[in-house]
Amino acid sequence: MKYLAIALFLGLGLQAQKVSTRAGYIKFFSDAAVEDIEAENKQVSSILNLENGQFAFLVPIKAFQFEKALMQEHFNENYLESGQYPNASFKGSIEDYAKIDLSKDGVHNLVFAGKMTLHGVEKSIKEKVLVEVKGGKLGLSSSFKLLASDYEVKIPSSKQDNISNELAITVKMQYD
Amino acid sequence: MTKNLFQTLALVFSLSSLYAQDDLLAELEQDAPKTQYAFATWKGTKVVNLQTNELPGKGVLQYTILHRFGAFNDDFFYNFLGLDNAQVRLTLDYSPTSWLNLGVGHTGFLKTYDFFAKYRLVRQSSGAKNMPVSITGFSSAYYSAQRYNDGLERGVGRRMSYVNELVIARKFNQSFSAQLVPTLIHSNLVQRGVDNNTLFALGIAARYKITHMVALTAEYVPVLNPNQYPEVPVDPLALPANPNFVNFNNALSFGLDIETGGHVFQLFVTNARGVAEPYAFGRNQGSWLDGDIHFGFNISRVFTVAR
Repeated sequence: MKYLAIALFLGLGLQAQKVSTRAGYIKFFSDAAVEDIEAENKQVSSILNLENGQFAFLVPIKAFQFEKALMQEHFNENYLESGQYPNASFKGSIEDYAKIDLSKDGVHNLVFAGKMTLHGVEKSIKEKVLVEVKGGKLGLSSSFKLLASDYEVKIPSSKQDNISNELAITVKMQYD
Repeated sequence: MTKNLFQTLALVFSLSSLYAQDDLLAELEQDAPKTQYAFATWKGTKVVNLQTNELPGKGVLQYTILHRFGAFNDDFFYNFLGLDNAQVRLTLDYSPTSWLNLGVGHTGFLKTYDFFAKYRLVRQSSGAKNMPVSITGFSSAYYSAQRYNDGLERGVGRRMSYVNELVIARKFNQSFSAQLVPTLIHSNLVQRGVDNNTLFALGIAARYKITHMVALTAEYVPVLNPNQYPEVPVDPLALPANPNFVNFNNALSFGLDIETGGHVFQLFVTNARGVAEPYAFGRNQGSWLDGDIHFGFNISRVFTVAR
């Protein structure tokens, strides 16, 4: 029993090197001829390994909130097909993570790279990320563009004036 | 003791190897919500004449325009493909919450005004919480303002009829959805003393999506205890107050749903011409076999008025 307690303690000890959040933020913005469409998701979960800068996101697609309920339904049903693909995810790491000193407050312009899965399609991405250390806590923010067509999200020609193929993504994570 | 120690060590190593593997995503997936709710079982709030389990979203105002045109067998081309004989129904509804929708309507047939409520009872879900069907209730009351000159007294009570539908729907996959709709139709005034005031019907409906925007639909609403009238030869001396009643038919419809942004267009053929529920289900004189088939459409437009 004693050993089991030690084992659990060791397990917890290992886990403690990671930080996580359940309230990560992702926004996407589509700028098309007829209308702009924007949706926010505040239920992104993320976990980051403080030792090596590896991190992952899990994005529940249904948690994207749109201005209009019907838009949200169409996003889920006709485009992202979230009944079949309920989550988008990312798995990768921050490059040159070793440069960050967690004991000092500061802002670091770095690059992250890894694999993103959206609509069941996996793609390698490499984008800039701003890492902010404040009071020993870590925050990430990043803005980048992605193409719906890269992830086999089809926008019918009749909707191309309403929905842009190029989507601006904003990511903000504050780890506990 | 030694055995215990080994077991413990094994546990420690398995734990550390789990973390060494560092599948951060797997850890997140373990914590992710496990229940997935079905959505968009149907494109619109109606199939053709039956309700679907769908409600407009919270804060959404919906306006629908419903038409049923003249029959194929009623001088179809002279009546411009039946368009000259349109029966019209208009409705306006609003969802104050995500589970309740309230609305009013007007139907040309018998100058009918109605109000209705639609309420979500159960949502289909899978995962941690498993529920095979979505269940939505629909209740409405109709007042017929039709003028009669037969001298019969018709107070408010006699002009009322009511419909309740319990929509039990299932989205089987991305393309196919189906529903069973036990329906109760009550009319305070019926044609003969022996007629049933309350009719029970068991509606069935299904849809199949051809593309993201277009779906095929079918709907059948058999009445289980219809009022039957004996076939009697037409008596030329019969008084107008005792007309030779015709038997009513079950409503059968086939349609096409087309979704374009804020609109859903539903185009269909049906034998039910009275657009409001009590007339479509309970006193439908049209017969497919006799060619009493009508073109019709339902168009809905939604406006987001509150968030």
